[in-house]
Amino acid sequence: MNLDLIKAWEILITNFPIFLNGIVNTVLYALVGTIVGLLIGLVFGVIKASAISPFDSKGVKILKKVSQFLIGLYIWFFRGTPMMVQALFLYYGLSPIIGWDGPMAGLFVISINTGAYMVEIIRSGLSSIDKGQNEACMALGLSRFQSLIYVILPQAIKNSFPSLGNQLIVNIKDSSMLSVVWVVDLFFQTGAIANTNYRYVETYFVSALFYLALTTIATFFLNAMEKKLDIKDGSKDYCA
Amino acid sequence: MEKILEIKNVEKGFGSQKVLKGISFEVLKGQVISIIGPSGSGKSTLLRSINMLEKIDHGNIYYHGNNIYELPDINKYRLKVGMVFQNFNLFNNMSVLDNCLLGMTKVLKIDKEKAKETALKRLDDVGMQSFKDRAPQTLSGGQKQRVAIARALCMEPEVLLFDEPTSALDPEMVGEVLGIMKKLAKEKMTMIVVTHEMGFAKDASDEVIFMDDGVILEKGGPQKIFNEPEKERTKLFLKRYLSN
Repeated sequence: MNLDLIKAWEILITNFPIFLNGIVNTVLYALVGTIVGLLIGLVFGVIKASAISPFDSKGVKILKKVSQFLIGLYIWFFRGTPMMVQALFLYYGLSPIIGWDGPMAGLFVISINTGAYMVEIIRSGLSSIDKGQNEACMALGLSRFQSLIYVILPQAIKNSFPSLGNQLIVNIKDSSMLSVVWVVDLFFQTGAIANTNYRYVETYFVSALFYLALTTIATFFLNAMEKKLDIKDGSKDYCA
Repeated sequence: MEKILEIKNVEKGFGSQKVLKGISFEVLKGQVISIIGPSGSGKSTLLRSINMLEKIDHGNIYYHGNNIYELPDINKYRLKVGMVFQNFNLFNNMSVLDNCLLGMTKVLKIDKEKAKETALKRLDDVGMQSFKDRAPQTLSGGQKQRVAIARALCMEPEVLLFDEPTSALDPEMVGEVLGIMKKLAKEKMTMIVVTHEMGFAKDASDEVIFMDDGVILEKGGPQKIFNEPEKERTKLFLKRYLSN
């Protein structure tokens, strides 16, 4: 391989504003995708994890079954196809109807794609909570919603935090696929720079360093957040 | 005396297996009822049915004369019927104090400062006030169960249900929990206690129910059940238990 580090440094310096513009968009898409995806995951994950109770009325039972089936279908599609294909399909497919542009479609796709993974993460987080926690809530007269908000979800989120955080890392990298619908992210800008200077190796080397820096910073923040959750929870067993 | 609960012909099965086969009894205000019997006789299922953690198949349960399945809001009923679980079920994401506060502030909508006062008093009753900021995970089993009792008492329930409250405890910790339950019994708290602690059933209860295979085989005052049981099955059970 023919990697000229001095040339790489030159490329970094001269194109820094362009790189920076790409980085800002990459971070924006990764953050929005992860946060909206988490919200989708919370709502759908709770529905998917809610067992049919003998106390449910017939209508509620049917509603649960139907919505769980639909959520299953959603996960099946968005986890089973590449995000790049989803982006192009939905952009061209829905463009005549809602008239959106590529970047808007990209934001939608990364959110809904992340959501599909988040549903499963939240669902498994919820199923890891001992059912006695819920029974204790019921015995105190808490409503189903109150139990979720105050007792069940905080524990489920804490248990699945590493997997949830991992989605942010994945999104920092996978947002690069959205360049196919003209999302001007780090990958898109790298391509633009390389196509003018023809120094592909050095330009993509700089790009890789930027991606590495972003994922490293994100990992650092996620670890700090996880530690904070642990302390707040007080679950460190200092008796043992 | 005022009748709080009336259990009438309750039947319940899991799949093809019948667990409760027509259970009837009454709970009067201030009464302490112990339910004893071999494992698998349906004691816990009965208790859970009373608090609507299980749905019964047949029969009725009345709370102050009202069928609990026809109440407009089952949460209002549940908060009047407190429950202490075998596995404590303290909320793992909250401190001891917050465990006690949750029901008072969110269900009873009591002002936080006032709720805190009550919670500290209840924790003091069970000797756990100095642990108020601890996480449940850092407590021993006996301590957890004492907090669970305080948490239930904070709601000022009319009846407290105990589902084998000492079965998951080390022998050394059984005493501290039973001591609190005896104190509650003396204060005329209405209680239904599913237990394997024959000493408690004998000394602290007004009525003892002996269950076997989904039916009430015998019930009466502790003197009668422990000293002059009528049924052979009861005699056999007690003989095995007390000789241990």
